[in-house]
Amino acid sequence: MSERRLRGQQRIGGATWATFIIAALFVWSMWAIGFSPERLGKLPAQMVEVLGFFWPADMAYGWDKVLPAIAESIQIAWIGTIIGAIFSLPLALLGARTLFPKFARVVKLISATTRAFPEILLAIYFVPIVGLGAFAGALAIGISSIGMLTKLGSEVVDSIDFGPVEAVEAAGGSRILALRYAVLPQVLPEIIAHWLFRFELNIRASAVLGVVGAGGVGGVLLNTLRYRHFDKAAAVLVLTILIVLAIDMVSGEIRRRIIRG
Amino acid sequence: MFPERPARNWPLIIATAGFLAAMTWWSANGIGFSLIELLCNITGGGRLISESWPPDFSFLPRLADPFLETLNIAVIGTVIGGILSVPVAVLAARNLTLGRVVWFTDRNFMNVLRTLPDLFWAMLFATAVGFGPVAGALALSVFTIAVISKLWSESLESIDMGLPEAVRAVGGTWLQMLRFGAVPQAMQTYVSYALYAFELNVRASMVLGLVGAGGIGMILETQRANFEYERVALIVLVVLVAVLIIEEISEAIRSRLA
Repeated sequence: MSERRLRGQQRIGGATWATFIIAALFVWSMWAIGFSPERLGKLPAQMVEVLGFFWPADMAYGWDKVLPAIAESIQIAWIGTIIGAIFSLPLALLGARTLFPKFARVVKLISATTRAFPEILLAIYFVPIVGLGAFAGALAIGISSIGMLTKLGSEVVDSIDFGPVEAVEAAGGSRILALRYAVLPQVLPEIIAHWLFRFELNIRASAVLGVVGAGGVGGVLLNTLRYRHFDKAAAVLVLTILIVLAIDMVSGEIRRRIIRG
Repeated sequence: MFPERPARNWPLIIATAGFLAAMTWWSANGIGFSLIELLCNITGGGRLISESWPPDFSFLPRLADPFLETLNIAVIGTVIGGILSVPVAVLAARNLTLGRVVWFTDRNFMNVLRTLPDLFWAMLFATAVGFGPVAGALALSVFTIAVISKLWSESLESIDMGLPEAVRAVGGTWLQMLRFGAVPQAMQTYVSYALYAFELNVRASMVLGLVGAGGIGMILETQRANFEYERVALIVLVVLVAVLIIEEISEAIRSRLA
């Protein structure tokens, strides 16, 4: 009994230390970037003032300029997701430790590296290659989707029931046949759900790519804010929020149905 | 002898395939997707890489301060956002919230927060409080609320309600019920989501500077505008290594918690 109490005390000690270290890091960070308490105190008033500029939204600008830009963001996200899905499916199978132990390491390294790049850094490199515009953005989104979808896909494949795989191989089927008839049917619903979720994330990612000239609605927002056209910026925000909410709802519902089967 | 093959829902399959094809055609046209263009310009990519190589390591000392600033922004964003996400998550959990109206309002607030990407918040805060790291820290705070509260409210909904009900039954208040009945059960998932948010924040803080919200991204933007690709390559390398290290550390802590 005494041993258990001791262990309990140690864990409380660990949590206290962690809290203390985080608090110290926080205070140091606030001091380092000059985020003083006075500045924090002025913040609410400042926010209210700025919010006032945003009203009323210039919806005419919204229909003419913002909607096409949002459509372009959706197109970028769609093509990016398709690129990610096509390339990640074989990689996810190869990256499954239980199926291909030899390849899994290499695949894991590739996916970790592509995931570490923020999309916008990839876009910085693609813009000079294929020129300013949405195509560069789609490639950037595609590459970073490959990394993430490969990782998630491999985890799904690793968690399958191996009975069917052994059954196919016992009946004389090849590895390829086992993949087609034993692995894919088990993993596809979850993998497709990951594709859809990634599409939702890609819409947000593609929305910011305009900042580096890779198409989409981000560039419009940056320009309206830069030239202090707050009513136009408000139109960008309202339309983005509404459209992304709608896509989230539809995609979330489809995901739930696919998973339920 | 064999079980019958389940019937296929052909109308659904055809409709889905048609939708996918139409969507892809519309998108590919809209963005001007062309493999030919990509292949023709691949030499441009080669030139870009040769210009980026080797990275200009003499530039490294000048990256130290912006790099620290980037980490400061990520820490502040995670701490402020992490604290504020607790009430947002609790009120959005169906089993713990204070009535339907509060639940509905909070849930929609959370979903709206989630629609805007990190850099949009950064642009907005840079407009509101001026360019610099404070705008970045505020942007990441909001972004963190969006990330943690959504995930954590789902874990709160799946806790065992026996304990919270017991606290209520012996006369505990709503806050005591949270403190002693509900939150301890979901504490580990909270820590792991907070670490996940920190990973996202480190990655995001690296690029906040592109819209003037402080950190290493500001240097990236000036060097890129001057076509100093050896320096851009160095910054990208630093970001990559930092993100991978933070991910390793956070994954190690998370796997020890589990």
